[in-house]
Amino acid sequence: MIARSLIKDLTRIVGKENILADLKDLISYSYDATMRQELPDVIVFLHSTKETSAIMKLAHREKIPVVPRGAGTNLSGGTIPVKGGIVLETSRMNRILEINTANRRAVVEPGVVNLDLQNALAPLGYFYPPDPASQKSSTLGGNIGENAGGPMCLRYGVTSKYVCGIEIVLADGEVVNVGDYVEDFPGYDLRGPFIGSEGMLGVATKLVLHIIPKPEASQTMLAIFNHLEDSGQAVSDIISAGIIPGAMELLDQKMCQVIEQSVSAGYPTDAAGILLIEVAGLADTLEKQVREISQICQKDKVRELRIAQTNAERDALWKGRRGAFGSVARICPPYIVCDGTVPRNKLPEALHKVGEIAEKNKVLIVNVAHAGDGNLHPLILFDVNNQEERKAAKKAGQNILDACVAMGGTISGEHGIGLEKIDAMRSMFDPADIAAMRQVKHVFDPDDIFNPGKMFPPEKEAPLPAKEKAAQG
Amino acid sequence: MNKTVPPEKQAFYQKLGKIAGAENVLTGAKATESYMVDGLTPQAVVCPASTKQVASIIREANESRVTIVPWGGGSKQPVGPCLEAAETVLCLKNMNQIIELDASNFTVQVQAGIVNGELQKQLAEKNLFFPVDPLYAERSTIGGEIAASANGPRRIMYGLIRDLVLGITAVTPTGDITHTGGKTMKNVAGLDLCRMYIGSWGTLGVITEAVLRLFPLPEASTGLYIIFPDPEDAFRMVGQLLNSPLTPSAIELVDAVAGVEVAETIGSSLNNSEVLLIVNSEGVKDDVIRHQKEIKTLAEANKAKTTIILEGEKASRAWAAYRGIHEAMLGASPSALQGKASVPISKLGDMGQQVKQISARQGVAIGVTAHCGNGILYTYLSDESGKLVRIADELKQAAASLGGFFLIESAPLSFRKEADMLPPRNDYQLMRRLKTEFDPNNILNPGRLAGGLY
Repeated sequence: MIARSLIKDLTRIVGKENILADLKDLISYSYDATMRQELPDVIVFLHSTKETSAIMKLAHREKIPVVPRGAGTNLSGGTIPVKGGIVLETSRMNRILEINTANRRAVVEPGVVNLDLQNALAPLGYFYPPDPASQKSSTLGGNIGENAGGPMCLRYGVTSKYVCGIEIVLADGEVVNVGDYVEDFPGYDLRGPFIGSEGMLGVATKLVLHIIPKPEASQTMLAIFNHLEDSGQAVSDIISAGIIPGAMELLDQKMCQVIEQSVSAGYPTDAAGILLIEVAGLADTLEKQVREISQICQKDKVRELRIAQTNAERDALWKGRRGAFGSVARICPPYIVCDGTVPRNKLPEALHKVGEIAEKNKVLIVNVAHAGDGNLHPLILFDVNNQEERKAAKKAGQNILDACVAMGGTISGEHGIGLEKIDAMRSMFDPADIAAMRQVKHVFDPDDIFNPGKMFPPEKEAPLPAKEKAAQG
Repeated sequence: MNKTVPPEKQAFYQKLGKIAGAENVLTGAKATESYMVDGLTPQAVVCPASTKQVASIIREANESRVTIVPWGGGSKQPVGPCLEAAETVLCLKNMNQIIELDASNFTVQVQAGIVNGELQKQLAEKNLFFPVDPLYAERSTIGGEIAASANGPRRIMYGLIRDLVLGITAVTPTGDITHTGGKTMKNVAGLDLCRMYIGSWGTLGVITEAVLRLFPLPEASTGLYIIFPDPEDAFRMVGQLLNSPLTPSAIELVDAVAGVEVAETIGSSLNNSEVLLIVNSEGVKDDVIRHQKEIKTLAEANKAKTTIILEGEKASRAWAAYRGIHEAMLGASPSALQGKASVPISKLGDMGQQVKQISARQGVAIGVTAHCGNGILYTYLSDESGKLVRIADELKQAAASLGGFFLIESAPLSFRKEADMLPPRNDYQLMRRLKTEFDPNNILNPGRLAGGLY
């Protein structure tokens, strides 16, 4: 618990209208999509780099934990203040400072919502490719914290590719600018470790982003399969043919059923799996791409192929996918989202494994995946009041991650480690790997002020057996 | 062996043979002089065969406080701030194998010492390629390119090497083997050390293996060679091209000073203020045809004097001539200075103009090439009348006034030793702390990069 005098000091910096310390407010900042809950001591709304720096100086002097936070849509426990302290609320730092299409740059404050930037860019014929499903509410600062992906990242790449420069306030209040507005700059690329650092290295106060012209044309297709593994095979075959669609999402039957209950996307509810494929590029060659993809789907026993004929049809198809997690939450609020990712050609095998794991642990798993990138999102559902089910769900989650690692994949493609996957870190990394990460943390934040208790497993523990299995395989 | 070497270091040199095999260790100035760098001749050159051997060597070096210079193809050694010491060169030329080519996943895992050109040959057999194309790719190693964050013209279409390296195995300066990233397209497990090692110039670790992202070889490709009497027209066209849905694979520019031979190769010539714009396109055939047509139309609308479309052998020859400019300009004189301006993309034309003004003011010819889609402009000049420092300062000021940097890459040793190589930034302290944390005894490439700030 922090001292009352400290809240007074914070109030002096930001004004009382930017401080929350009532229990009901603290509770709203105590959780995310994972099932952990811890109360912060105080929430501070930021407005400027200067304010942020002053707050950090104070926190540093008093050695108080600080958790930077965007919209809190994170899925792995990243914003849960496990050690209490100050939550830095960035949502009021939400100005778009510059959009310069000739330089292909947008400069924004961290609290700008992803979709707000997209909406500002669209009339200019430009876009910012990372498009997490949460883009309606998640902030660009939060996207950088988690190195967010999204459906279109298949063709364009994830957040790290589109961040040119970041202004960061460090733990002691020092302000540094890593990366740059221009493409090549001298010295280390400190954006590297910062992007995806889950608020553990500093707080971003200004972002320079890379924007690109929108593709001339795009088309959305829906491919419907009677067998889930055939849909996975089609994804693998499309990629192997050297075709890189804009996006290629896979949803299984239960997922479609759940989505159709809350969103009328037009998905079939009787098919084992569907692929939502968007091709993008020059208008002249789009037709050829659609034809090639159709042929591959035919070979992989597609039941039906639909091509969105109007923008409304296209939007409906995407609305279903973007609303997937929300639709599941409506029927079964507690669920575990896995984020294991496998090499792209291992998708059919991975889907098969997930099915086996569900059966073995007797849990209900619904599948949605950024299939083209091999990024699975199995959602494991359970009854929150049933201890047995809860345990089985957790075990199934671990089994899936282990299976991904054994296939040469990773425990997280885009959701991060946070609290949820701390144990799984040891199935992927050697002690020396984690030690090197800790060194980086130490360089940025020697007193462990920023988001303590996340990502790293406790020191001096042997690696899990899965690591050895993966090394042999 | 040099008699002034203290005993603990002597012991280190003796251990090298045990670790890597005596036949893989060169000692004595005579044997090692071809690895001289920044005027320093190493005591020993060791060529290990595995990541484990590299780790053993580095661990011993760290304990004996022997400085290590990691070495790939050597093409980037004389670039940037000078080394302070170079007692042992750790050359990765024996670690040149493909570990795993996973063609249907479009990834390849390689040992860091494989030469880019050699890798491309092997990939081409499977109809694949790695789209990183820096200068010297025919002799630079993948590990060296990652360490130096080396990029080429294709960066406009495929992104930077930092976007195309998916995983790295590196030995830290204390001899620990670290893995980061992997063979998936997306990976956010733990802190991203992969992108920390990329561009760290061998100061934070020795890269021993890497997983690279591959692409299918393009079905078709074409190059347009466009001559503009007025550079302003060329830059206007570039702006329009970048604002279009077209996705060229290179947008390069060369001026009359640097472009004599390229112009000859395409059967033309460049007058004083004329510039040659080269626009490459690659991909599926229909796409390439559309690019060809529209780029030609754009060129004509922007008062181009000539547009030549090249394909096949002719395109390769012209492209090779363009790529040869760097070496030709540097080789022309021992007092050559080459630098890179990195400015906002739309300011590239202004930078080009300022270079011309500086050239006129100082009475020294300055050759220019550029990656137009990325705001990168290379300058080449040579001078023996003592103006190098002055000209370099003016180029730095010009780039800074446009919101960018002018970075000196190649220069006479005396210049590199004395000149201030790094422009001001506010994150050097943080970089220095990173270097000290990873390399407390400053044994890896001391003096390079952030180390140059000591």
